[in-house]
Amino acid sequence: MCAASKKPAEAAFAPLLQFEMDMGTFLSDWQHCDQLSTFMARMISHNRTDPIRHSNFFSFALNELLEISFRGGSPEGRIDCIVYRRDLMERVKLSFTCPSGQQEFYREAVSRTHQEDAFSRYLGAISTDQTPNREVILLDLAINFDADVRLEERAPASITFVVDLPLERAIN
Amino acid sequence: MNTTVFSSPFNAEFDVNSQEFSLAGVIRPRSVDEIAASISVLKEAIDDVRGVLYINVKRLVQMNNTAFQAFARVVLDACRSRSDLSFVVVTSSVVGWTERMFRHLNRIEPRVTVEVYDSKFYPGQAFVEDTSFIPILRTQTKMTWRHERTILPRHGMRPGVVMADICCGIGDFAMLVKKEFQPTRIVALDHSKASLAYARDMAASFGIADIEYTYGDASEMLLEDNQFDLVTCRHSLQIFNRPTVLLKELYRICKPGGRVYITNEKNSHCLGEPRSKSIQWTYNEVAKLFSHFDMDVELGPKSRRYLVDAGFDDILMESFMVTNLDGDPQDFADVIAAWENVYAGEMAMKRGDPPEFMERFRQGFSDHIFAALHPKGYAGWPIWAASGRKPP
Ligand SMILES: C[S@@+](CC[C@H](N)C(=O)[O-])C[C@H]1O[C@@H](n2cnc3c(N)ncnc32)[C@H](O)[C@@H]1O
Repeated sequence: MCAASKKPAEAAFAPLLQFEMDMGTFLSDWQHCDQLSTFMARMISHNRTDPIRHSNFFSFALNELLEISFRGGSPEGRIDCIVYRRDLMERVKLSFTCPSGQQEFYREAVSRTHQEDAFSRYLGAISTDQTPNREVILLDLAINFDADVRLEERAPASITFVVDLPLERAIN
Repeated sequence: MNTTVFSSPFNAEFDVNSQEFSLAGVIRPRSVDEIAASISVLKEAIDDVRGVLYINVKRLVQMNNTAFQAFARVVLDACRSRSDLSFVVVTSSVVGWTERMFRHLNRIEPRVTVEVYDSKFYPGQAFVEDTSFIPILRTQTKMTWRHERTILPRHGMRPGVVMADICCGIGDFAMLVKKEFQPTRIVALDHSKASLAYARDMAASFGIADIEYTYGDASEMLLEDNQFDLVTCRHSLQIFNRPTVLLKELYRICKPGGRVYITNEKNSHCLGEPRSKSIQWTYNEVAKLFSHFDMDVELGPKSRRYLVDAGFDDILMESFMVTNLDGDPQDFADVIAAWENVYAGEMAMKRGDPPEFMERFRQGFSDHIFAALHPKGYAGWPIWAASGRKPP
């Protein structure tokens, strides 16, 4: 997607909530993923049509993204998460530091969520793998949560996911 | 043998009698090792059962992909090694992602099927979740509120409470409470999508934005324990076929020291003069009609027993009579007309009642309306309001 066509759409998303944390602190406790996703989900869902169910869905998706950064992140630098809203859509922008050279890996995983064989890849993975890898998790979000997942290029040793979640429509 | 693994905040359990393995709560392990005990419960369950193993995820609030894949793995492997076994995953329409995620297993192994338990889960559901039920709720609350606004403060209602109205119907009670008592928070839950849509439209048209209307099953709620100062549940224990289960849930979400307030009827005690005989006959039949569909509209006076048995203390109970003299008698008549429409319509039809019965049945409603609108008439609808405290 070219920068020119992206800008106006981005402008229409209004920021709702943000957290920023030292990666070292974030990585110190696995429970942070659950706690942050539960809290953020509650806060941003209060004025959705069905706050409780919206929060439940949103928390699922955000937790998976946080778990990815927990598993793949490196302890220097910061993790930064902003939730935006436009109409029926929430957007999560999540940046975290990771070992350099990882971008390519994420780029490929993200691009697979847009490919035609996404569903069969997903089925293949859940029918054979013991534990989910980053790719399956992104496929899960794309397939089961109708998420649109992209990467934004920023600093070399960091990853920025931009994930659009049309949960309001999916729930009601 | 029942095996339970408690590893807060989730629960994995196998009930051999129902051949059911259930997962509940929040399951977000970092690695499969953390849920090894629950995985073993599932594996043992598979070894124990013949035919079908039910996997109940009705109350599964959260699960990460690590856990999903680990449990899925066990199920899929079992399908490959045990040709005699099939699996039914029991999901709910409330936590929609469970249905979406587990359904894929069926694509991989057709012997894993997914059921959404709450598409048809209690006998009265078809009637009360239909839009034709809305006029009943609308006309009723208009009448009961006159009484309840003065009754409620005796049962724990006060400004600033955190409350939930469970089985909220069209949400009119929540709106009235909001206006009159300014609670800090109101969650209003029902399983009727039609009623909730109506509730949200009404709230929006009155500019009320902060009632949290939510779709859910009152007997399997996602709401956390010990959250609310006051939990109300009006005219609904009598509609759901398992009132004890429902009450247990009300108890669970109530804070220790908080109160649960319920209202229920005893329909056979609806009365009117003149034409009392015909009226009485019809309402006796109403009670029988409801019990045919496993609903106990005679529950009102049993409220005290239900509350005691559920573990409440400091039980308060009172009754009030909604009558044609409360306000405009036409409002009372409108309630009766709404009842007749559904009870002597859809419900009696579904039971297969013959025309002679229908005629006499309808006559009692007409006579009740006649009594309500008669210049010297009196018509009444008795209701029992009761509450109990969850011990602190
Ligand atoms: C007679 S209506 C009362 C509605 C409202 N409390 C009132 O007084 O206007 C009963 C309500 O209970 C709801 N209900 C019954 N069983 C339920 C359950 N298990 N979970 C959620 N709602 C339920 C029905 O959908 C219906 O709206």
